[in-house]
Amino acid sequence: MAVELKLSRSNRIYRPSEALEGKIVIKTQSSIYHYGIRLTVKGSVNLQVRGGSAGVVESFYGVIKPIPIVNRTIEIKSSGKIGLGTTEIPFSMNLRQKDENLERFYETFHGANISIQYLVSVDIPRGYLHKSLSATTEFIVESDKADLLQRPLSPEMVIFYITQDTQRHPLLHELKSGGFRVTGKISTQCSLSGTISGELTVEASAVPIQAIDIQLFRVESILLGEKIVTETSLIQTTQASDDGDVCRYLTLPIYVILPRLVTCPTTLAGPFSIEFKVAIVISFQSELSKLHKKSDPKIPRLWMAMETLPLELVRAK
Amino acid sequence: MEFRPRNYSAELESHALPRVTAAAHPLCASPPSPPVAQVDVVDRGNSDFFDPLRGTDNDANAAVPDHDNLNEYADIQPTKEWTSFRRLLMQRFPVSKMVSVSTMPDVLMRSGKLHEKSSTAMHLEELDDPQKFADEGVKTITWQEYVSRLHELKDEITRSWQAEDRVTSLKLSIKVAKLLMDTSVLEFYPTLFVLVTDIMDMLGNLVWQRIKRKAEFSEDGTLRCSLAENFQARDICADAKETCYNWFSKIGAVQELLPRIYLELAILPCWCFLFDQPLDSLRRLVMMTRGLGDPVASAYCRLYMAHCAQKLPSHDIGYLVTCVNDIRVILMQILSANERSHKNGEVNKKLQVSLMEPTIEYIMKCLFNGLTQRQVHEVLSELGLMKNQQDLGSVSCVSIILHHLLKELPIEVVSTNVVQILHLIEFSKDNSFGQHLNYRLLGFRLYERKSPAHIVNTVLDKVIQVIGMYDSLDEYLKVVDAYTDLILQNQMNNHLNAILEGISSRALNKRVKEDEMLSLQSFIVKLLSHFKHLEDVFSLVQFPEILDVMYGKSQDVVFLHILNMVTRDDHISDPTSIQLLFEIAHTLHDNVEFMNVKDDDGQVARSISRFVLMVDYGAEMEQHLAFLVNCRGAFGRFNELKETLVHSSNSLAIQALKCAKKHLSFFKACVTFSEVTIPSVSAQRQFDLFLETAEVAFLGGLVSHSDGLIDSAITCLHTLDIIDGFRTPTDVEGLVSSIRKLCGFLIMVPGTFSLPVTYFPNNLFTLISSRSWFEPKMRTQIFSAIILLLTTLSQKRLPYHANTQIPGNDMLYYGDSSYNQELVSLSKLVLENLLSAVQQEPSQAARGIMALEACNCIASSFMQLNSELSPVCLTLIETAKSCLSAQDRYLQSTVQLLNKQCPTFVGTMVSTSV
Repeated sequence: MAVELKLSRSNRIYRPSEALEGKIVIKTQSSIYHYGIRLTVKGSVNLQVRGGSAGVVESFYGVIKPIPIVNRTIEIKSSGKIGLGTTEIPFSMNLRQKDENLERFYETFHGANISIQYLVSVDIPRGYLHKSLSATTEFIVESDKADLLQRPLSPEMVIFYITQDTQRHPLLHELKSGGFRVTGKISTQCSLSGTISGELTVEASAVPIQAIDIQLFRVESILLGEKIVTETSLIQTTQASDDGDVCRYLTLPIYVILPRLVTCPTTLAGPFSIEFKVAIVISFQSELSKLHKKSDPKIPRLWMAMETLPLELVRAK
Repeated sequence: MEFRPRNYSAELESHALPRVTAAAHPLCASPPSPPVAQVDVVDRGNSDFFDPLRGTDNDANAAVPDHDNLNEYADIQPTKEWTSFRRLLMQRFPVSKMVSVSTMPDVLMRSGKLHEKSSTAMHLEELDDPQKFADEGVKTITWQEYVSRLHELKDEITRSWQAEDRVTSLKLSIKVAKLLMDTSVLEFYPTLFVLVTDIMDMLGNLVWQRIKRKAEFSEDGTLRCSLAENFQARDICADAKETCYNWFSKIGAVQELLPRIYLELAILPCWCFLFDQPLDSLRRLVMMTRGLGDPVASAYCRLYMAHCAQKLPSHDIGYLVTCVNDIRVILMQILSANERSHKNGEVNKKLQVSLMEPTIEYIMKCLFNGLTQRQVHEVLSELGLMKNQQDLGSVSCVSIILHHLLKELPIEVVSTNVVQILHLIEFSKDNSFGQHLNYRLLGFRLYERKSPAHIVNTVLDKVIQVIGMYDSLDEYLKVVDAYTDLILQNQMNNHLNAILEGISSRALNKRVKEDEMLSLQSFIVKLLSHFKHLEDVFSLVQFPEILDVMYGKSQDVVFLHILNMVTRDDHISDPTSIQLLFEIAHTLHDNVEFMNVKDDDGQVARSISRFVLMVDYGAEMEQHLAFLVNCRGAFGRFNELKETLVHSSNSLAIQALKCAKKHLSFFKACVTFSEVTIPSVSAQRQFDLFLETAEVAFLGGLVSHSDGLIDSAITCLHTLDIIDGFRTPTDVEGLVSSIRKLCGFLIMVPGTFSLPVTYFPNNLFTLISSRSWFEPKMRTQIFSAIILLLTTLSQKRLPYHANTQIPGNDMLYYGDSSYNQELVSLSKLVLENLLSAVQQEPSQAARGIMALEACNCIASSFMQLNSELSPVCLTLIETAKSCLSAQDRYLQSTVQLLNKQCPTFVGTMVSTSV
């Protein structure tokens, strides 16, 4: 005896204005009686604050009450009998209902402290004597086409310079005195289905370059009483140049495909906000770097130079 | 038993085939059929022609046990060029002497000594946890283990793909691609590249097939649409697009640059499912490759890019131009890098450049493949080589890139821009490649087609001036070798003299090195092939001196050339030339023992034989004979040559005979020379030579000499059976035919009173019967010949005579009954043996034929098939009937002959007639 939920789309992406469609697949060796087949859709923003940036650890630690987005149950079938073999029961359920409006349908997001998740579950109670059958699966919500940003994405790019003078942290002596200069441009408003694009050029460097990385950060903020608790975490590192010095004045492209689920449109809601940053990090060859293999990417090191820029992610057409 | 009187001339006439005048030569080509039809046939033939010699690529086939995709996968085999390129690449940088991936386990068992150290993550298991690996320090793994592990991985990737576990396939592929980040063992990198890209290509094909299937079939397996060869992105359903994008996202999430590029290249054609213009991706990938820090790794990455881009339905060459330009920048950086930055500076640099060379070569090939002249000019200007036509002095290029560019440039472009190219070469001087090799290449390219004389002149003036500055003989020769053909073709004698003097001033008074010798050899061979007469070559300045510095194998090659050149058509009569060539031949002969290759020996021996044959002293016959004597002394090692000497001296004897009587002593000298030379020839050839000499001696009237030679010929058959390897059918047939020839000769040889009249036939017969290795078939043929000989000798008038000086047996024994009796008694003996020989033949078909042969022999030799002979013939016919079909034409004609020759026979035959 097993029950399974199969969604109509293999990528499981649905928009709030659309109907969630699929089928309930029940496989059983003998016919079973039930008290009705019910389908529940649940969506919520789950918040959690961990220590560290919150300051006072123990008192704040723990889960904050989630913000519900949708919670609705419908009966697909009233009580009856399911024959033996495989039974497929199709279903369709509108996500957004006009009368009830709990909260905006935020896009699905899996972060460190904030997670926006949508689940659909089926429940088949069979009385007190039998265990009820159930199955749950996650589906992904993306913004409605109508809600999308109407103005076109700004094609403009931010021009950046990275030199020994733009760094706010201490540098190796030879870097500081010898100098370096990396210039380039990068898009700071990106479509989630697109890429972070841009280019960079190493114009000069006294010390050979070890690697150039493009780092993608998320910035999650939660309103906790009077305070805003913010945590920045690294999502993805993408090398633009690997082990070895880069030829001067050869333009390298910046090209980062945005990962799914762990990114979403930049969201500024009341109780929480989700923002993103992109950093261009240059590591120079140095004996010191070998001693610190494992290190927090957020902490600037003596042999590194970086430029961090805010990144606005949007769902575009 | 009585011999049948025969009229040979009448028989000849009656048996001769009627002659008819032919209108056309039978071997002439028939008038050509309409060409259109022929072309049609050829085309159709090609399309379904299966060449059994064309081997399939085992590696690729073995790797695809995927039942679903097997057929489709086979369609996307790597191109032939790529397959052969990969093979050459592995051969060029062998990891060890035993690189043989397919026989891996054996190699592993035989030798565990070959360890290769790698400073970074070699052990694939360690890839999961580089930290742990780094802590443990350097590990070693034999390259065999490494390679076999890679093959295992390839299997694993296919296996998990088949098990629908594509995530594992991808993860493993990423790990495999990461291996290419390790350039610590540079020599191993090309092999590694080949192995890894093989896996990448496989993955690319699997992904392509999967998405294509998704686009063509819906989930439940029904056909959605069939994709055309040149489908558009809008033909693809959203589901397939989604899967495709997913692959690119997953690959895009790989942190490291190098594996990310390789994997995207592997699935590069899949961009077609998403966009109609996948070229943008290619352009981006070229740029991304610039981020690779290691020059070798980045060059090989570009190589893979050039390979993968060819799978796209269309691609421009812009990305290749960028590749070449980027490689140039990298090379310039390597070349200008400070020595101290590398630990073993120069050596490492050289190795890096040589590893990068094949990638440059391949990319250049792709770049110039099928370009129009206008496009070529565009490419050249994109490469920065044509920017400023007026101010050529400032343009330069990295010489190794220039080299491969020059190699691929269409010949029209080379000849129209030769001056610019010359400038480019002049100003591209660096350590990446020898400048002289670029001058050399230009020479070869120019010779590819006829260039105007003034251009050739300009180039040569410049080149001769440049190489005049060279100290190294090697470099000098390498350049000279390339221009020799041009100089000769345009008859630039001043240049020819200049380079000859240049060579001699650099080569004399020092030992020429082996590799220089090869260039010198090539140069001299070109000279020799150009000139018709040896005198012309030797009259060139310094030529004899240059020839003198040659030694070893190259000297042999050149000498052989000289020998072949002189003996090509004309007789050689100039004593100086003969002397020179004799010395050359002598050197070659003496060197033969150092060359162990059998084929070479044969060639030298043949050429010297030909030389000996071509020598012609004209009327100075004594000198000629003396020359032959010298040759016998000098070229003792060649059997074949001694044979030639015998032929030569025999023909000299005949020549002397034709001249006048006074040469009789000279004639004798020639025959004697032959006679004493023959025993040193190998036994299988002796018989023929003895026979030939006997004929010559006989012709000159030296009858007793001739008798002695015939005796020697028969005697030498004694020694034959001990030689193995003589039993080939051709040899056997040759010997039988020689023996038959002897029988024909014996007709003319007069008997002597000191010997019995049947002395020679009897000797021959006794010898053949006593030697067991003469097979029944040979015996039948030889015995038949002896019987026919005896029949002929019994005739009142012999069919032919030597000349009037030597009387035939018909005159010597005219009417002598004892003579006739002797012949008859020997005939009887031979006949008995003939019959038993026929019955001994094991093969049925052969026995039938032999019986008929014997029967024919009897019928034409003896009168009246009386009681004695008619049962014999009857038995033979019966034998033949039992062995052959009744329709056999030979059988029928033999029966007819018997009936004609002997009417009494008819009665007996009727009953058994077919």
